[in-house]
Amino acid sequence: MKTPPRLVARTLMVTFVTVAAILTVVFIVITLDVRDRVRAAEIDKLRVSESVFTALEAKRRQDQVAAMATLAENPTLKAALDTYFSERGFNGSSDEQLRATVTGETAKLAASVPAEVLAVVDVDGRIFTSAGPLAGRWPAGEEIRIPAGTNPTFEGVVVLPSGTFRVSAARLMFDDRAIGVLVAGTSLDANYAQELSNLSRAGVVIAVGGSIVARTVSEAVARDLVASDEEGGTRTLGGEEYAVRLLPDLEPAHVYTLTSVDAAAHEPTQAALYALAAIAGGGFVLAAIGSLWLARQLVEPINRVSGEIATMAAARDFGRTLAPTGTSRELDALTATFNDLMRGLGAAEAETRSAYLGAIRALAAALDARDPYTAGHSERVSTLSVMMGRVMRVPTDELEILRLGALLHDIGKIGVADEILRKADPLTAAEFEQLKRHPTLGARILRQVPFLTAHLPIVELHHERPDGRGYPFGLRGDDIPRAARIVHVADAFDAMTSARAYRAARPPAEAFAELQRFAGTEFDVTCVEALLTAMPSSQDVPEPALAQLLGRQLV
Amino acid sequence: MMRPRHLLCVVAATIGLLAAGPRPEAQEAASVRGRVAIGIPVTAKRATSTYSRSVQTMALAPESELRHVVVYVKDAPKTPLTPVNAEIRQKDENFVPRVVAVPVGSEVTFPNDDPIYHNVFSLSRTKTFDLGRFPRGKSRGVRFDKPGLVKVFCQIHSHMSATVMVFDHPWFAIPDEGGRFDLSGVPPGTHQITAWHERLGDTTLQVSVEPGRAAIVDFVLPVPAQP
Repeated sequence: MKTPPRLVARTLMVTFVTVAAILTVVFIVITLDVRDRVRAAEIDKLRVSESVFTALEAKRRQDQVAAMATLAENPTLKAALDTYFSERGFNGSSDEQLRATVTGETAKLAASVPAEVLAVVDVDGRIFTSAGPLAGRWPAGEEIRIPAGTNPTFEGVVVLPSGTFRVSAARLMFDDRAIGVLVAGTSLDANYAQELSNLSRAGVVIAVGGSIVARTVSEAVARDLVASDEEGGTRTLGGEEYAVRLLPDLEPAHVYTLTSVDAAAHEPTQAALYALAAIAGGGFVLAAIGSLWLARQLVEPINRVSGEIATMAAARDFGRTLAPTGTSRELDALTATFNDLMRGLGAAEAETRSAYLGAIRALAAALDARDPYTAGHSERVSTLSVMMGRVMRVPTDELEILRLGALLHDIGKIGVADEILRKADPLTAAEFEQLKRHPTLGARILRQVPFLTAHLPIVELHHERPDGRGYPFGLRGDDIPRAARIVHVADAFDAMTSARAYRAARPPAEAFAELQRFAGTEFDVTCVEALLTAMPSSQDVPEPALAQLLGRQLV
Repeated sequence: MMRPRHLLCVVAATIGLLAAGPRPEAQEAASVRGRVAIGIPVTAKRATSTYSRSVQTMALAPESELRHVVVYVKDAPKTPLTPVNAEIRQKDENFVPRVVAVPVGSEVTFPNDDPIYHNVFSLSRTKTFDLGRFPRGKSRGVRFDKPGLVKVFCQIHSHMSATVMVFDHPWFAIPDEGGRFDLSGVPPGTHQITAWHERLGDTTLQVSVEPGRAAIVDFVLPVPAQP
């Protein structure tokens, strides 16, 4: 069978599981909440950056338009351009110096505008000359579509084979006569996207007609964005959620700003996670301390009680009661029940013991009653032995053994024939041998009873003598157990002071004298002295006192 | 002060007299007459500049677009001519008239009628000049020694432009307000007659001139492409 776990393990497990469950729920809630907030924040951020962009763009356009209108009034440029085309119309050829003049003026103007390319476009919509860092991408003769209109200036996006450009244009006019267009262009390329990205702190994708022109995000995301027909503030691109916004007024180019909600949520989620980890650590420590304390509170009194019970069991001391622990009602109920049980057990044992004693006493009395001369002998020997034992400071438990052993010392006489016991005449040698068997016989009878194991030596050895001439074994001196020696002396004393069929009872003083005479040979010296001490000065003791003491009429 | 239209009449009359005067050849000459028309009105007023003028008058409207046309015989032989004096005034931030045709050797003066400074210059191969800046009441002139087209601009007011056409033969004319023109004394034969407009460019027609008979040439100038 499996051993059940310890209480500490149980409380720890329950607490830890509870704390972990709470933390898990908190973590999920926080993560979702952070994500929601971040999504809203990112959409808001894009909206704000779009407003900023729109405002800046409006300002930029205004400035650009003003700048272009001013540049378009350059008289040398206009004169040279008009003269060039007028001469070509008139003569079929024109002065290439004029073209050089226009080119030179354009280059000068290009240096003063922030655009990447500045070009003069003729009335047929073809580039006449261009200047600026990206002039190479606007070769002369290239057609460039500036929508016809009544406005003297134009802002928008044009698509050339060499790329897509944001342009600001101003017409070159003589009164109502247009001779061309001055166009400033800025490439919608990676640089522009990067600049916009830096301004808006978001990713930028520029697409024209479904193809990506520039991007600051991964190609997969940009492709998904251009391909997606989702509407609204967020879209799923490349497996991630993005907040997306399309910047206005840049047709036919689509300029998107976008930020990854996942990426933006990462940092706050991480922060929340760290905080939660700290809380979790603290929580677990507190839970551990709490559950250990609780377990201790529960286990400690239980251990104490069970230890006490174990001690009681080991000592076979069932008379003691367990003190209530005062730690819990349940445990106190348990100890009270245990005490009741033990009280019941003790009462039952006492009853058993008294029944035993009664039976043994009855047995001894029955034995004594076989012979009128020995009536009360066993009781008297028992009383005398205990008195002597007390004098000799025999421990209490041994006194009890002594009391019972002395009571039973002659039990073996059951197996001795009445004729021998009651015989008034001296016994023959064979008869005496019969009588001498009674200690061995008694021991054999009592050996059947485990309860009387401790009393056996008294029964078996109460006729041994210190000089080794006793029976049945002829043990000497200290080889004979003290209890047996005590009973031997008490037996002899009572025998001498009792009447027999063949003689009268002798007075105690005579009996004392007899005992003292044979002390050291037949009787143990210490026991004889103890008897003398127990029976205060035999001569001084009045007869009735002794009679009362011994519980019988001394004859 | 003479009004531009009257001035133009004077100039035209002078040219007519000169053309009619010395006969280049003993042959019997004929005239080429006709009308010039423009496909659609190009005078529709448009915003011309983001900046407003410093002089605002209704005179900004040009006389007639047809007055900006010069009709001439393209393949005419070189003919000695008497120079004339012509005038292009600077009035209301405009050159008036915008188009002038003169024989070789003529001098054109540029009086300033505006209360502001003007500048007159040209980058044309035929005659490159810069008359500098001059105020109201002043006038500066320039002589045109070579035939050809001369574009004239003002450095200060970039929207102003004028054209001086210099011929080495007498067969050229600016149509009247109705678009009518008359080139007299054209030698018989097949000729290229060109109608030039400052914005619409050249339109050339071939005409056979027979002695003693007026050849009729009617032009319809194309609509220009708008940038």
